[in-house]
Amino acid sequence: MITFAAFTVIMLVGVPIGLCLCLAGFVYIMASGNPVLFQSYPLQLFGGVDSYGLIAIPLFILIGEIMNGGGITKRIVDMAMAFVGSLKGGLAYVNILANMFISSILGSATAQVAIMAQIMVPEMEKKGYDKTFAAGLTAYGGMLGPIIPPSVMFVVYSVLAQVSVSDMLIAGIIPGVILTVMFCVVIALMGYVYNYPRADYQTPRQRVATILRTSPTLLIPIVIVGSILGGLANATESAAVGAVAAAVVGKYWTKEFEWSQLPQMMLRSGIYSAIVLFLVAAAAVFSWVLIFGKVPQETAAWIQTVAKDPISFMLICNVILLVIGTVIDGVPGLIMTVPILLPVATEIYHIDPRHFGVVVVINLVLGLLSPPVGLCFFVAAAVTGAKPGKMFMVTLPFFFISCILLVLLSLYPYLSLALIK
Amino acid sequence: QAKELRLGLITPNGHSWNKAALKLADQLKEETKGRLTMTVFHSGQLGNEAAMMQQLQTGALDMGFIQAAELGSRVPHIAAINAPYIVRSTPAVAKFVRHPAAVKLFDVLPAETGTIGLGWGITGMRAVFAVKDLNTLADIKGMKLRINPTPVYRDFYSSLGAAPTPIPTPQVFDAMSNGQVDGLEADLEFSWNQRFDKVSKSILQMNAVFMPMAAVVSGRVWQSLPAADKELITKAVKSTLDAQIDELAAGEPALIENFKGTSVPVRQVAVKDTEAVIAEFDKIWLPKAPVLAELRKVGATI
Amino acid sequence: MSDQTISTAPAIGVRRVIMAASSGLLAFERLALMGLMYLLTALILVNVVTRYSHFPIYWIDESAVYSVVWLTFIGASAMTRLRLDFAVTMMTERLSARSQQIFKITATSTVIVFGVGLIVTCMLWMDPIGLAQAGFDAKKFAGQTFNFLYTERTQTLNWPTWVLYLTLPIFAVSITIHGIANLLEDLGLVTKVPPKGFQLSELDGVN
Ligand code: NA
Ligand code: NA
Repeated sequence: MITFAAFTVIMLVGVPIGLCLCLAGFVYIMASGNPVLFQSYPLQLFGGVDSYGLIAIPLFILIGEIMNGGGITKRIVDMAMAFVGSLKGGLAYVNILANMFISSILGSATAQVAIMAQIMVPEMEKKGYDKTFAAGLTAYGGMLGPIIPPSVMFVVYSVLAQVSVSDMLIAGIIPGVILTVMFCVVIALMGYVYNYPRADYQTPRQRVATILRTSPTLLIPIVIVGSILGGLANATESAAVGAVAAAVVGKYWTKEFEWSQLPQMMLRSGIYSAIVLFLVAAAAVFSWVLIFGKVPQETAAWIQTVAKDPISFMLICNVILLVIGTVIDGVPGLIMTVPILLPVATEIYHIDPRHFGVVVVINLVLGLLSPPVGLCFFVAAAVTGAKPGKMFMVTLPFFFISCILLVLLSLYPYLSLALIK
Repeated sequence: QAKELRLGLITPNGHSWNKAALKLADQLKEETKGRLTMTVFHSGQLGNEAAMMQQLQTGALDMGFIQAAELGSRVPHIAAINAPYIVRSTPAVAKFVRHPAAVKLFDVLPAETGTIGLGWGITGMRAVFAVKDLNTLADIKGMKLRINPTPVYRDFYSSLGAAPTPIPTPQVFDAMSNGQVDGLEADLEFSWNQRFDKVSKSILQMNAVFMPMAAVVSGRVWQSLPAADKELITKAVKSTLDAQIDELAAGEPALIENFKGTSVPVRQVAVKDTEAVIAEFDKIWLPKAPVLAELRKVGATI
Repeated sequence: MSDQTISTAPAIGVRRVIMAASSGLLAFERLALMGLMYLLTALILVNVVTRYSHFPIYWIDESAVYSVVWLTFIGASAMTRLRLDFAVTMMTERLSARSQQIFKITATSTVIVFGVGLIVTCMLWMDPIGLAQAGFDAKKFAGQTFNFLYTERTQTLNWPTWVLYLTLPIFAVSITIHGIANLLEDLGLVTKVPPKGFQLSELDGVN
């Protein structure tokens, strides 16, 4: 109890969450009257990141850095435009489709929003869309980043839950595609109500030319997936192979990537992955003291008194995670909730850990799009100058449709598990 | 006086070691009318085996079920139990680990690891699952084989001409199905749970190595316990491990039937093929762990 | 998320030493992070190639994992100095400027508390004094203290594990120094200038 109190107080003061977790660990050990645990403290911190699956995180982030530096993102948007054509609300579809495509390369929602907002929002504004809507829509498009593989959040989850990284990545495919379709349906309906502008007309010949011109970007996901299917690499290693592909495409096709940029890209990838990885280490210490204090057991006992079956348990988890997601961001949210909820889910309610992972991750990703700490909105706001609160209001239909997806995923495990062998 | 013990192990819920741990907890509670209780921390909740060893050494953790690979990487003397062809079947494993010679290996634990060994628990003999057709030991030559990376196994499979390839456990199935490796070695219980038969063309029962686990107690904690409790705990551990060993050995025929029920052929290694392999292995390991000679002698009588 | 400003302004005595130590550390951490990223990428690619050509190298996975562990703690130290981290600002951002300043100083101080705490736990764990008393004999030390840290080796690299664990005491010391440097800035005792060699963007998120 004192551990949680200490944690909450220092977190509200504005101490970085990783340190809050570490300090709560100190407080627990002091309060437990078992000071011998201090001797194991550093090793628990080390053990938290001493895991093969986590290698993927720096590599996924590196692909994003190289791709962005190589001007590949811009070409992907062009390609989506050629596909969508002059529909009503054309650029809104382009936004979602380009986001879906880029999600298959990038692992992070906020990185994706930052990149896409710079490209899409000015374009949409020019065509007569409301800037707030354009920015908000891009933020929802970014949601696909951690759902469609690769995904840093799924990697972190698979390490926390000790399930196969590739299983988790594959589990995100169907939910990601459903979400994309749902977003497109919402755009169609909203486009009808608000009379969205049409996209520029392109002749079929122009379209084909654009698609041909931009098709080398496809090489990156093809190399990633192909290296896995061809037995060259596992899911983790495919990220390194993908980084090479991105560098080659950026250097010899877009010609915007220079080897001299690489050291800075390496540095940024290193620092950004350390931010995530240190949280994982801190979470290991925190969950270790929680487990020593039997907190998961007690939580399980409490939840069992409320939830009588797996479905009511899942729905309760949805509510809890949405609330947590509103104040805490993706990876830290994962790290704080999974060690407590997962044992309950698998042992008491016999829920497949991979199904549970999909629901938890999407739940927390939705938290990135809800006030007061919706990081994706803040990123979109920082890039475009739109107001985060207003962004949330004008995109409410997207929020509701995402909640519907969550309920569907909670009720039907096969949506997550169908593609896993 | 009343005491709450903590036992850690890395296997997940439902594994036969976990069932034994839970039984041990029940038995202690019952025999002492609740004076001694035990909480079981499974799936590596307290950290991996190295982290658990460290907690056993400080006394933060009271007991652990630690695999011979972890203890063997610290003490070559213990690693001798992982050597190939000491015994040649799971029923023989069940007898061997209860033989005084196997139990005597624990004598080095206090000085070398700060823990006290109370008994062995077992898994069955390991088999090789391959994406090609395996008939004899010689067919292993040239294979990229995923192995448990303990040094004993590496030397054994290298001497067979395989290229030992470490792949993290959760990725083994995928590595087999997409061809990163041509084969893997594992015990049958784990292999059936993971359904490795679905990505294999043949199964070769090596009857060579097995991975036992030692029930160890923190040396620090042990010092602080009254003699009566030590005796009580030792007895309870022995009886639960006895049951685990017997149950596992008794369950193996059914497991083999499961595999035979699939379309994948299950084959055996011929005894005469193994002599050269043993000689080559012992050239490396006898100097490191002289006790191996005695273990072989004992194994031959079982 | 970040101010990304670092002070190097002249200050007297201890202050100057701290600021210089912090800048020096950060410069070193910058190089180490780049180096570890290159190393990690190279290890993974070499692993792919050698395994594909039937000559898998046994110790690569383990090396890659430990590169990431070192990357984590070196990066965590650097990001503390760069003030790049997830923090909950929901409550503090609604307060007056003066209260915000107080909270900021409190938050920065807890970094130092953590750093010192980690130094203490590392001392308890690695027990350098006990080791010296045992004449740096790992076996004798283990016999006296039940601490077997210096007798253990990694599984496939076969390195002594304590060498790899050194990242933790290094991290403990460096985060303490960076914490003090940040605190000096927050207290207005030194002035801030941007860090050298980091082209970071506030927008590059990490989720
Ligand atoms: Na993605
Ligand atoms: Na949020």
